[in-house]
Amino acid sequence: MKQGGQKSYLAAIAKEAEFGDKTSVRKHKPDYLIVLFMGLLMLIGLVVMYAIGPQRANVLNNAYGSDYGSTYFFVKQIFSLLFALGAFTIMTIVPYTWLTRHAGKILLAAIAACALLAVAGWANLGIAQQSLGATRWFNLGPLGSLQPAELLKFAILIFMAGFLGGKARQGKLNDANATLVPLAIITAIAMFFVVVIQKDFGTGVSLASIILVMLAVAGVNLRNSGMIALIVVIIGTVLVIAAPHRVERMMTFLNGDNTSTSDDNSYHIDQAKLAIGTGGLFGVGVGNSVQSTGYLPEAINDSVFAIMGETFGFVGLITILAIFTALLMRLLKLMDHLVDVRLKLLVAGVFGWFGAHVMLNVASMVGVAPLTGITLPLLSFGGTSMLFITAALGLVFQLSHYTVHSSDLKEVRHEGFSSRRGIGRTRYTGRSGSTRN
Amino acid sequence: MDLKLQKGSRSTILAAIVLGIMAIFVVRLFYLQIIQHGYYVDMAKNEQVKRLTIPAKRGLIYALDGSGPVPLVMNQTVYTVFADPQTTKDDGKIVDVIQRVAGGNARSDLAGLLAKKDSRYQILATRISRVQADKIKTESLNGVGFQEESVRVYPEGSLAAQTLGFVDFSGTGRYGVESQLNDRLTGVDGLLQSVTDVSDVPLTIGNNNIDKPAINGDNVVLTIDRNVQSHVEQALADGLKRTGATRGSAIVIDPLTGHVMAMANLPTYDPAKFNEVQDAAVFNNGVVSAPYEPGSDVKTLTMATGIDRGVVSANDTYVNTDHIQVDDRIISNATLGQTGTITFQHALNWSLNTGFVTVAELLGDGRSINRSARDIMYDYFYNRFHLGQPTGIEVAGEATGTVISPDQTEGNAVRYSNMSFGQGLDVTMVQVAAAFGSLVNGGNYYKPTVVAGIVDKNGTFAPAPVAAPSNPVSKSTADQLREMTHVARSTFFSNVDKPGYYIGGKTGTSQVSKNGVYSDDETVGTYLGYGGGDVSRYVIMVQVSGDHKALQGARDALPIFTDISNWMLDYLKIQPKG
Repeated sequence: MKQGGQKSYLAAIAKEAEFGDKTSVRKHKPDYLIVLFMGLLMLIGLVVMYAIGPQRANVLNNAYGSDYGSTYFFVKQIFSLLFALGAFTIMTIVPYTWLTRHAGKILLAAIAACALLAVAGWANLGIAQQSLGATRWFNLGPLGSLQPAELLKFAILIFMAGFLGGKARQGKLNDANATLVPLAIITAIAMFFVVVIQKDFGTGVSLASIILVMLAVAGVNLRNSGMIALIVVIIGTVLVIAAPHRVERMMTFLNGDNTSTSDDNSYHIDQAKLAIGTGGLFGVGVGNSVQSTGYLPEAINDSVFAIMGETFGFVGLITILAIFTALLMRLLKLMDHLVDVRLKLLVAGVFGWFGAHVMLNVASMVGVAPLTGITLPLLSFGGTSMLFITAALGLVFQLSHYTVHSSDLKEVRHEGFSSRRGIGRTRYTGRSGSTRN
Repeated sequence: MDLKLQKGSRSTILAAIVLGIMAIFVVRLFYLQIIQHGYYVDMAKNEQVKRLTIPAKRGLIYALDGSGPVPLVMNQTVYTVFADPQTTKDDGKIVDVIQRVAGGNARSDLAGLLAKKDSRYQILATRISRVQADKIKTESLNGVGFQEESVRVYPEGSLAAQTLGFVDFSGTGRYGVESQLNDRLTGVDGLLQSVTDVSDVPLTIGNNNIDKPAINGDNVVLTIDRNVQSHVEQALADGLKRTGATRGSAIVIDPLTGHVMAMANLPTYDPAKFNEVQDAAVFNNGVVSAPYEPGSDVKTLTMATGIDRGVVSANDTYVNTDHIQVDDRIISNATLGQTGTITFQHALNWSLNTGFVTVAELLGDGRSINRSARDIMYDYFYNRFHLGQPTGIEVAGEATGTVISPDQTEGNAVRYSNMSFGQGLDVTMVQVAAAFGSLVNGGNYYKPTVVAGIVDKNGTFAPAPVAAPSNPVSKSTADQLREMTHVARSTFFSNVDKPGYYIGGKTGTSQVSKNGVYSDDETVGTYLGYGGGDVSRYVIMVQVSGDHKALQGARDALPIFTDISNWMLDYLKIQPKG
């Protein structure tokens, strides 16, 4: 009976998160700047893969006796990019309402995938790829590997947009029973799989960022913000303390540069800073990176920013950061020009996702934050994370069809989110591209 | 569409956060990449640039075998096996394997060494061969490592040991040719400096790369003839046994080139086991590094000086009373009774001191060894015959010796009267033998040398040119001296030589000065001679001595000369005259 009650409770939450009504704003030209920024970053990433891929292959071949060809990583990155662009295109074409309508099922599927991975890992099945004492990937043989946590991020993004957006429209966002408790339950389930089972703190942070930014944009009041912040700090501290390697990372960070050169974390950070520092103003040039020949761990994925610093120098890194910033600002602006709060939250989530990855990755590479082990979006080598973040950007690109002009937006604002009056009025439509720059 | 952030919306706060964090990044990157750029470049250089010394191969040393070179000193790679007791796992197995494979090269109590768990380095076995090292490597023992080193090996054992010297454990040549020609033999180490990847594999990145190949040391060919050396060592050993002498030295020089064909000293040592030598004195090559009072051998040089100056000839006569007064000293002959008017040839035959004091007087005013006589003698002894001067032979530790100049107070008439028959001056055997060489080859002084040339990269023997000789005396003087020493030898010892050859020589029995006082129970016996046909082909000098042993030139040293001389005639295939 109780079991059934729980089930129906969760089912009800899921129901609340799903919506199928399309925005009444008429579709106009999308925001191609998103594609431009995304494409630039992908190209830069590809150039770096081309340059350091052979060295990476060499290092792996020497260390593990594997037999990677010199173009292996470059070619694989091209395939990753093609898949990612495919996902982007699909997300651009498939109406977002198809996703939002099935938000609950998508989340269920993602959690099921995580659960399946956990079981497969526990049973030592070949499909569960184990490394460094954690099971994070499905091994799909020749198709590569898939990280269900990335799917989970995407699912949470869709789900929370519908759920929190719906509550906001009803004015119940700050209602504990209606919103905050269900939110906490869903978040706890997702976090349990990612952080506890998969031991992936980085993805946990990125999940948290998605949800927190959404909450902030949705309009959580000060009291609840404080409470949420407190909970995040407490749980975060517990998770850090619970895992010795996170404590080490934290201590390494707090101890500063040169206190313990022997342990792996400070070695990683030292090598990253060394790579960045040697880059100087203009870098050592494409193909001349020495740090990528095995000195810097994770040179092609998590640490690719440092290799770019070595290769392209200060000027290159500033350019890359500028593109990231421009893309993030673009997301914020888009968000501000969407009428439906649920769509706003969708963009907010993507912003949180993308932003958290960029900020945390770069911060750890330049030594202003401890290592979290998350990728640099669009630049790092890594198929799954590339696939889903591009899919998310594709979704945002689709939503950019439905922005409205600032002057019209103000009027909508005055009418309030809870009112559905006027949203369908034709005067909000037909502005497509008229003042587009 | 012109999209702008909406004032007052939460997105402005998010934008501020993004821009704020980005600003921190920019500042941080500026610090790392611009301000600390040099620091990180230096650090990178330390980490990424590896310097690898390519050791130059030490040159080999060859002897001559007839006219072609044969190796006398070679290199061999040997291995030292060491263990890090902190990382060794199966100590019992290590002990088993090392003892089984290394045998006598293993250190004793291996288990005890491995039990020193607080140490990181224990040598388990030394000087094992590559084959042995490979055997141990196949056992893949944890915590056991190998150090490669090159050591000298001596295919001819202790042959010419003091001429060769040895290479100490630091790789530096000590004594002999190894020391004197150390730089030439060592060569120049090469340097490989390269940016490398994390597993030290060189990369082609950057401009710090240096690839300087090693210049291997010269492969030096000695003038030492393996066969002559071997025979000389044998003859010397036999001679010591026969005479009871405890020390012996001999040198064989080719008078036509100054090439030292053999140089031997007893007792000797095995250069492969130099570290087991108790008395370091055996490392010295006495022929070049032990000055002594040469005694009567020098009478040949005094006579040559007189002849060359035209004041005396072999058949000139003087009155021998067995005693002669110089200033306040009376000088006597060692052999008494040949009194009366005798020729200088007679005086040389009997080695009468009075005859050569007379020659010295004749160089002056005929009555005393005045300053002018002394100046002439000094000019011949020091400047022309190079006594009291290093010869420059390529063997470490060459002694200078002492010839007192007439400019010094001690360079008085008494001193020079003594010098005329070989006392009051310190010289080395190589100085005397080289000087004597000029008297048997027509008056040409060749600097003695032990280096015949090198073996180049292609294994071809490239002989070194023979340096032009100087001319201490005229050809006529030299020929007369050669004849006189031939007569001196034939007068008493002609029956010992193979017939049909032209052999000559002079005995010497010199007193030993110990702490400035002549010892009364110890003399050094020498013999200085030459041999060949019309052309003298070798000069041989032999010296025997022993503590408290009165050894004589004629009785003790001469038979050794004869032994070597007769053998040389065969070895050099010199045709006897009918």
